[in-house]
Amino acid sequence: MKTIKESKFIRVPFIGELFLGGARPILGIVLGLLAGGVLIAISGVNPLTAYWAMMQGAFGNLQSFTNVLVRSSPLLLGGIGVALGIKAGVWNTGVEGYMYLGAIGAAVVGIPALSLPPVVHIILTLIVGMVFGAIWGLIPGYLRAYRGVNEVTATIMLNYVAMYLTNWLVSEPQPLAEFGSFYPMSKLLQESAQLPILMRGTSLHPGAFIGIVICLLFHFVLFYTPFGFRTRMLGANPNAARYSGVNTNKQIVLIMMSGAMLGGLAGAIEVTGLKLRVYMDFVSGVGYESVAVALLAGGNPLGVIAATFFLAFLKVGGTTMSIQTGIGAPMTDVIIALCVLFVIGVGVSERRRLENVHDVDKTETTDASDIKGGEENVV
Amino acid sequence: MSYDMLISWIQATLRWSAPLILVSIGEVFSERSGIINMGIEGIMLSGALCGIAISFFTGSVLLSVLITMLLGVIMGIIVAFLTVSRRTNQVVTGLMINMLAMGGTNLLFALLSESRHTRVTTMPPLFPESWHGIPLIGPILTQQPVSTWIALILPFLAGIVLYKTNWGLNVRAIGDHPQAAATAGISVIKIKYQTVIISGIFAALGGCVLTLGEVGYFASGGMTAGRGFIVLAAVVVGGWDPVRTALACLVFGAADAAQLRFQAMDSVVPYQFLQMLPYLATVIALTIMVKYSRVPKTWGAAYDQRDI
Repeated sequence: MKTIKESKFIRVPFIGELFLGGARPILGIVLGLLAGGVLIAISGVNPLTAYWAMMQGAFGNLQSFTNVLVRSSPLLLGGIGVALGIKAGVWNTGVEGYMYLGAIGAAVVGIPALSLPPVVHIILTLIVGMVFGAIWGLIPGYLRAYRGVNEVTATIMLNYVAMYLTNWLVSEPQPLAEFGSFYPMSKLLQESAQLPILMRGTSLHPGAFIGIVICLLFHFVLFYTPFGFRTRMLGANPNAARYSGVNTNKQIVLIMMSGAMLGGLAGAIEVTGLKLRVYMDFVSGVGYESVAVALLAGGNPLGVIAATFFLAFLKVGGTTMSIQTGIGAPMTDVIIALCVLFVIGVGVSERRRLENVHDVDKTETTDASDIKGGEENVV
Repeated sequence: MSYDMLISWIQATLRWSAPLILVSIGEVFSERSGIINMGIEGIMLSGALCGIAISFFTGSVLLSVLITMLLGVIMGIIVAFLTVSRRTNQVVTGLMINMLAMGGTNLLFALLSESRHTRVTTMPPLFPESWHGIPLIGPILTQQPVSTWIALILPFLAGIVLYKTNWGLNVRAIGDHPQAAATAGISVIKIKYQTVIISGIFAALGGCVLTLGEVGYFASGGMTAGRGFIVLAAVVVGGWDPVRTALACLVFGAADAAQLRFQAMDSVVPYQFLQMLPYLATVIALTIMVKYSRVPKTWGAAYDQRDI
């Protein structure tokens, strides 16, 4: 990929890479923020005031910054899950479902008193959450790889199934449910299964740091291991991957399951670190946001970290903005969606450049004008 | 299941399928021309809010339907511009349109909060009051709102348009082999724009029918509840044919209606499992039917005029 970009677009190695990798998302984000500003202005508030309130709300003091970190925990894990899929050419849009299953897994081992030492109990809840998520991811993975069912439809349908499953498990007659609660919710998790709070007076749990470590880990996996190479090959050209002996179906299932496992971890962390109970709507919105993160990141694990902090900043700042200026908090969703639409809609694209290099026959006929326009294959 | 239950189930099936069928007709055209409009969920949601809001402020169903269609045109043009002209990935574009619509409707609905629990003028039944008492036919057919009747007739018209007109032939040709169609002198880009805009119009209309024809109110936080994706599945299950897709929509609508009926019946099965029913039915139907469907050859792929 590197050599393609350098030889075809800008010949200066580092700057060309940086330009392609960073400029498009940043340009898109700037345009998205401008468009959001126009909408804010239409609602009768000075956009600068609104964005300043957002900044204050996210970075005003240490406490608000810890909120950004807490909000970024599920986005990091969900985002890297989706990003892995993008690298392999599948759309793993089931993050919400995986989070529900991860939360169920965490509740199953986190609610009974197992009299385990805290460290062991926490690790057990997280692992069970990951396993539950991965098993759930097996369903759309299998359907996609061996049955040819579109994974976007399948995962989104299964999200609803997972949501109602969660609601059933935390409703009254079930052993996990809290007795006599107004809204169906599970019992409180055992003290020993709760993630430690890192800073007194805040809700800062280690989730964001776990997420960053996992992003770094998957950067390594994706670019320096055979598994990662097979994944990227599958995304770049499935036929070539199959021809060179990659079991593409198995690879798709593995990628979907990895993403699901990370989604399960995200759900388990959200429950053990922040919510401490499982209930039906505890992940609302993370699904689409993870897709947005992965897209802004261009499917890149390190980019996921940057994109997550941008989104978490918007979400946390958006709450402050809505209190101070009266613009509803859903405005942040609009801004995020606009940013992504501008990122994908503006600027050069990958497919055509890749195509020109892959098809040796075609390279003869191409010229410089071909680098603009073309389809997005990988983002 | 008693006789009355059965009748009310069939009636509810037709009512709940109507929005799905309307949305699916547009989607069949756009997918036949090669563009998967994944944004129908979001367009439906916008149409649902638009319909309810205009009906609330003006009290005129006709006006709200017309304005909703206009909204569908605008959103269709946005999707078409991105996927056809900019050749963006169709999945991403759709998902982000959904996110945009989700945020936008939540935002606007909070402003319209006075209409939150007031019922608005809904779609009238097609047949006069005196026809409603006929046993069997009354509850099933003549009590239905106009939207249901339109949804029952349109798939056949859509089938005629798709298979018997020149334009329909062009749409099918473009979905299978755009280069050949272009060589034959068809304006591929123009027709793709037309089909995507049609899918936008029908998706918005479907959302409007969902609120004005069925429930009569709007609920914040994604009240379409994945129906757009159910329609996407129905189009695959129905093999990109308007009438068969409508049948698939009827099946999913029946699952939806059944879960509401069974919930009221206080059955042994917990209601959450009944709520899963439409979604499970969709996944299972997709799994079984997907290999029998003939996919349009350039389904989901971008078309570049410079490709030969």
